[in-house]
Amino acid sequence: MSHYELLFTHIGTILHFQYLIPLLVGTIAGVIGGALPGVTITMTVIVVLPFTFGLDPLQGLAAMTGVYVGGSAGGSITASLIGIPGTPSAVATTFDGFPMTKNGEAGRSVWVGAWSAFIGGALGGLCLIELTGPFASLALKFGPWEFFALFVFALSMVAGLVGRSVTKGLLSGAIGLVVTIIGPDPVMGVQRFTVHIHQLEGGFPFLPVLIGVFAFAQLMPDVETIGTGAQPALTPNQINLKVSHLSVLRDILCRPFILLWVTFIGIVIGVLPAIGGSAANIMAYDQAKKFSKRPEKFGTGIPEGIVASEASNSANVAGSLMMIMAFGIPGDAVTAVMMGALTIHGIQPGPLFISQHPKVAYGIYAAYLVALPLMIAVVWIGSRAWLRIIMMPKSMLIPIVLVLCVVGAYALSNSMNDVYVLGLFCVIGYAMVKARMPLAPLILGVVLGDQIEANLIQAVSTDPNPWLFLTRPISGGLIAASVLSVALAVWQHSRETKRLAVAADEEEDTDF
Amino acid sequence: MLSRDGISGLVCLALSIWLLVLTLWLPPAVIVPIGPAFYPRVVLTIMALLSTILIVLDVVAMRRLHAAPGAVPAAVAAGTGPNYRLVLATFIEFGIYIALLPSLGFRISTVLFVMALQVTLEWPRSARHWVLAVAVAIATSWVCHIVFENYLSVLLPRGTWSGM
Repeated sequence: MSHYELLFTHIGTILHFQYLIPLLVGTIAGVIGGALPGVTITMTVIVVLPFTFGLDPLQGLAAMTGVYVGGSAGGSITASLIGIPGTPSAVATTFDGFPMTKNGEAGRSVWVGAWSAFIGGALGGLCLIELTGPFASLALKFGPWEFFALFVFALSMVAGLVGRSVTKGLLSGAIGLVVTIIGPDPVMGVQRFTVHIHQLEGGFPFLPVLIGVFAFAQLMPDVETIGTGAQPALTPNQINLKVSHLSVLRDILCRPFILLWVTFIGIVIGVLPAIGGSAANIMAYDQAKKFSKRPEKFGTGIPEGIVASEASNSANVAGSLMMIMAFGIPGDAVTAVMMGALTIHGIQPGPLFISQHPKVAYGIYAAYLVALPLMIAVVWIGSRAWLRIIMMPKSMLIPIVLVLCVVGAYALSNSMNDVYVLGLFCVIGYAMVKARMPLAPLILGVVLGDQIEANLIQAVSTDPNPWLFLTRPISGGLIAASVLSVALAVWQHSRETKRLAVAADEEEDTDF
Repeated sequence: MLSRDGISGLVCLALSIWLLVLTLWLPPAVIVPIGPAFYPRVVLTIMALLSTILIVLDVVAMRRLHAAPGAVPAAVAAGTGPNYRLVLATFIEFGIYIALLPSLGFRISTVLFVMALQVTLEWPRSARHWVLAVAVAIATSWVCHIVFENYLSVLLPRGTWSGM
């Protein structure tokens, strides 16, 4: 069967109730989770995760894909209507979405966002379908040297790009790697650093670590604000969401260059490991402003700003999925959870994923494409109802989310051990938030740590010459790129620090 | 005096040194050219180096801050701080919840946890709010139990004390 025949067959499969229901439920959960300020898409996918354990792999992945696609659109609803981004990936949507609502065009604001997400997502989906195969073929040519270098590059890039401090980013990645060296070594099974605690003898399972780190790291900042008067008052009453969808589509499609360019940015950022939509929407907004004929209008409620943010944000999902399916490297925390869900079902994402599990791979493509119109339908039918759910008090929501996190960790192997790991990493995650350390490098370190070690050992066992890491063209190029990315990040950070210091000095001068 | 950057650097440095010492007891390589200690040593050395850099950068930054006339730490300048009492209470209640889970079982401990945490985070101001809090606690436990055990084949913890 040809590529597209397989795709259409799997779209047919996904449209069966068996798969459509999890996809629809996931999309609804994503829209609500994405719209809830303080609850990110990662948190939502973590909450949905335990419900997927009893399902077949494709049903589970369909639900998660729904969350991912729905979440990226859900974030824009609150960003547009009440000026509070539901997720970090909708921050740039507030710049023009909320002013548009204040100008009395709430419906236009929400729907420019939703339709931009749809179109950006569809274009991203096209790239996902067309490019994942060639990427996987490229990855098949990689030996252990190249994989080692690729993983190091991914880690160095993430550590350098996220957060305000390169040192903290790199340190966070190193902590993630340290988590993976506890337990048996990959060759001889020698126990390392277990300090005679038999619960550590299997090492730390990835998903409880991820759930623990993100659960408290994302919920506790909300707890901190309870009772301090710092909580936002959500009162989107009397909002009129009626709009002409044709005129909204015209708003978007009459700007083809911006649409294509920001979609491209979204895909590229999605492909780059663990940077995610939070960077994509800001970068895309910045680019749209630079290329615009009326940059001064940005921030006053013009459609270009919303198109840039939402199209790139949605296309970013496709880029992240591409990376996990072709290389087995999660593009962000959501795909890291999806990767964990795949491994629970005995499926290893990576270069052989499409050839070994075509049903799941094409099922993901199909679920992604079907999730886009579902997302539009969910926003269309329920936007007012979702807004009511968003009003749910945090004091009610937080305990429920924590219970689902515990169930998620426990259900992995019906073991309290995983729940204790969750508890430990809840503390570590919150401590890292308080230390202002980025969490993305930690997660990537935990995901890639074992593979970095395994590929290092395999490479050295094949040929003990360590220079091969530098002399093989792809491996050498990736190592050079790793060094360059860290150097560039250090340079950028020091330049920013100097700029801020100069600005502070000037401010001081004007005071006297 | 160190800020939270320096303190986190110190914690990471201490951890990496302790683990580096533990690698001395790991056996040498037998089957492959590099043994089980090689990779951890590389990772831990990198972590120790980065921790040291973080501490040094923090010391330098703190000196600059103290040297600047009229410097006010951000936390002091910010006014109302975060509600750490609630954070601590949440951690304690969550800790008790997962500690009691094997003894009380999922259903009972979940009702108690959800109820307790709701009340801690926001004290119910009327009888209606109390009823709502109790309903949410019971519903969370009951719905999770029904859905996971009956439809998703996930057996939730049974209590050794309660038997349920």
